[in-house]
Amino acid sequence: MTDEAKDVWVYLQHSKGNLTKDSLEALAAGRRVADKVNQKVVGILLGDGVESLAKQAIQYGADEILYVDSPLFRTYFNLRYIDAIFAMVKERRPYAFLFAANELGKDLAARIAYRAVTGLATDNVQLEVEDYTNPALGSFKDLLVQIRPDFGTRLARIYTPRHRPQMATVRPGNFTPLQPDPKRKGRLEKFEFEDRDYPAKVREVVELPPPELDLSGADVVISLGLGILKDGSGRPRDPREAYRLAEQLRDAIQRTYHLKAVIGASRALVYAEIKDLEGLISKVNQVGQTGTTVSPKLYFALGISGALQHRVGMLRSGKIVAVNTDPNAPIFKIAHYPIVDDLYEVLPKLIETVGGAGHGS
Amino acid sequence: MLIIVLLKGVPARTTQVAQVGGVLNREAMDLVLNPHDSKAIEAADFLKRRIGGKTVALTMGPDMKLIPLMKPLYDAEVMGVDEEYVLSDRKMAGADTWATAYAVSLGVKKLLEMHTAPIDEMAETIKKSGYSDAVKVKAAALYQANLLPNRVYSELPPVRDSIVQRFLEGGITVEQAVGELAKVKESLSRFIIVSGIKTTDGETGSVGPQVAEGVSELLGKVIPHATYVEDFDIDDAATTVVSERKIGRLLQRLEMTLPALLTIATEYRPRESPAALQPETRYNCYKGKILQAKKWTAEDLDADAQKLGLAGSPTIVGTGIEVGKPPVQKLLNQSLVFLKLVPQAEFEGKKYGPFEKGQLATDIPQGLAARFKTDGSVGVFSYDVLAGELFS
Repeated sequence: MTDEAKDVWVYLQHSKGNLTKDSLEALAAGRRVADKVNQKVVGILLGDGVESLAKQAIQYGADEILYVDSPLFRTYFNLRYIDAIFAMVKERRPYAFLFAANELGKDLAARIAYRAVTGLATDNVQLEVEDYTNPALGSFKDLLVQIRPDFGTRLARIYTPRHRPQMATVRPGNFTPLQPDPKRKGRLEKFEFEDRDYPAKVREVVELPPPELDLSGADVVISLGLGILKDGSGRPRDPREAYRLAEQLRDAIQRTYHLKAVIGASRALVYAEIKDLEGLISKVNQVGQTGTTVSPKLYFALGISGALQHRVGMLRSGKIVAVNTDPNAPIFKIAHYPIVDDLYEVLPKLIETVGGAGHGS
Repeated sequence: MLIIVLLKGVPARTTQVAQVGGVLNREAMDLVLNPHDSKAIEAADFLKRRIGGKTVALTMGPDMKLIPLMKPLYDAEVMGVDEEYVLSDRKMAGADTWATAYAVSLGVKKLLEMHTAPIDEMAETIKKSGYSDAVKVKAAALYQANLLPNRVYSELPPVRDSIVQRFLEGGITVEQAVGELAKVKESLSRFIIVSGIKTTDGETGSVGPQVAEGVSELLGKVIPHATYVEDFDIDDAATTVVSERKIGRLLQRLEMTLPALLTIATEYRPRESPAALQPETRYNCYKGKILQAKKWTAEDLDADAQKLGLAGSPTIVGTGIEVGKPPVQKLLNQSLVFLKLVPQAEFEGKKYGPFEKGQLATDIPQGLAARFKTDGSVGVFSYDVLAGELFS
């Protein structure tokens, strides 16, 4: 079957005159897919005064921008945004349509997919293009392979063979934004939107204070798991001790190497709601499928066994150091530096080494 | 007020997952109620105590598994749900979010019709039979079936002045009674749907907004939705909901005219509401609970089989992928690694290398390794070497 639907669309979110990091990542994902099928990347922009954003999007990999520029789109209001985007989809019928897998992207994509009668694969960590044969449905050429965490113990491949566009949300932290190229040129096209009455309205939008902890923006994440409750010989340990050690390692890394380091945690540790860790570890620290996806330069998994839900949230880290007493812990499957040892022994040595490194050289 | 709670049965354990061609086989697994749905039940309970009405649980999946699972919900969260409906049919099996939303939307439409039709029936009976026993007989039958709100007819003390009673006592005319019934019918059309933010199996969060879209299409009017609702309130007239939700670093206050759909976030805590129903909210309530869940098949829903289950799903689940390739691993205090860049070396007439700094010193003859160790090119992978690599 040949595909008449053309172009890879990417919905572009923006804030205060800049495209968001999530959107730049989605744009990189779109570029990757478009290059595999020799098609254009079309950025979809809605807002009030979007011209400079359109230029940004082209520098970051878009070939064309389809935009609505109107005061009606100054604040995000889902029903109006959905109508505008659906009108575009209905008129052009793209091959694929990507959104960032955050609150806004998911809010839009779900309803648009239903109205357009097409599939939606959410939270993709990778996108490929492959030919696909299904005994019941036949063969399909150049299909988008949407790769997302599965409920089981693996990643699932999701296909949308018969419907267009193939819609997908892209999980933040899994694609690297392209380097902006100021010389890139692209075409801008305005889309006319016809407004109507809606049985809803946005009453107020309040900006929230910045997050207490910027997990996704850190260079180094030092994560703790339930393993901190015991030492190598199986004796119970005060988890605050491990937290203090992690803090010392964090501070040593920041001091010696001037890298931004933060403390993370596994879902198991967060949900255990350990009294001793109150005020130290909470949901803001949680790395993984239901927490934050991170892709730092360096990731420490300390006492974390590494359930799939944790691994998909950190497997794109540059270097992974795992410390665990259990040599069969799944985390070791993806660790570059497996340390089968007691973290209460390893951490002080690491702190000493890192702290000392600054003085010698 | 019709308060519809969408629920899902999800696998109890990740270690016991039965799959058939990428689709979960829910019949072969132990199921639990999706943990996120408890917030939807809390929200429904709040709504009932705040404005009265009937809470109806709606779910889809194998009825044999789901009916026992939903039984405790009759007593859940103070008031519990009043009625339960299970969409269950082989034709619905293997549904993705689109096909799920299609079936659930049909279920919502059927629930709505099921509650508005009796109001029409009462209006017809009053017009046809006038001040006669036929009106009372009809009203009593529908009331017993839990299909008339107390405002229309009640046999319990709190509502002594129902429309039917006032009509039969000669307090209002046929026209007035029919007019009041029309208002009740209109208020029933302002229903509300609540669901969890997502399920623990699919983790998509798509079905909520997709049901809002599906119901919009079936009813021919726009049903607004709000996802990730952390707080909301409803006005006394039960016409408008104002919800608060986080979108990235923004907090949005969205006002929606009913009917509307809300997906309730983990952070939601119900607002203060009376522990006991107030007299005025009782008017909106029904007789009570029906403690037997009801099953609806594809035929009951008048569904297009092409849009149901696996056949109606645009997406297909292919083969799985094991996560993460095993990287080249270096063992602390064990592995031998090159401590510096080593150009090509000759050993027993053969050429080896060049070797990168940090490369594992395996796959080289023992004699050569010994030479490298002596001249300091190769050493044990120590903490110092590790730190050097991690932060290079």
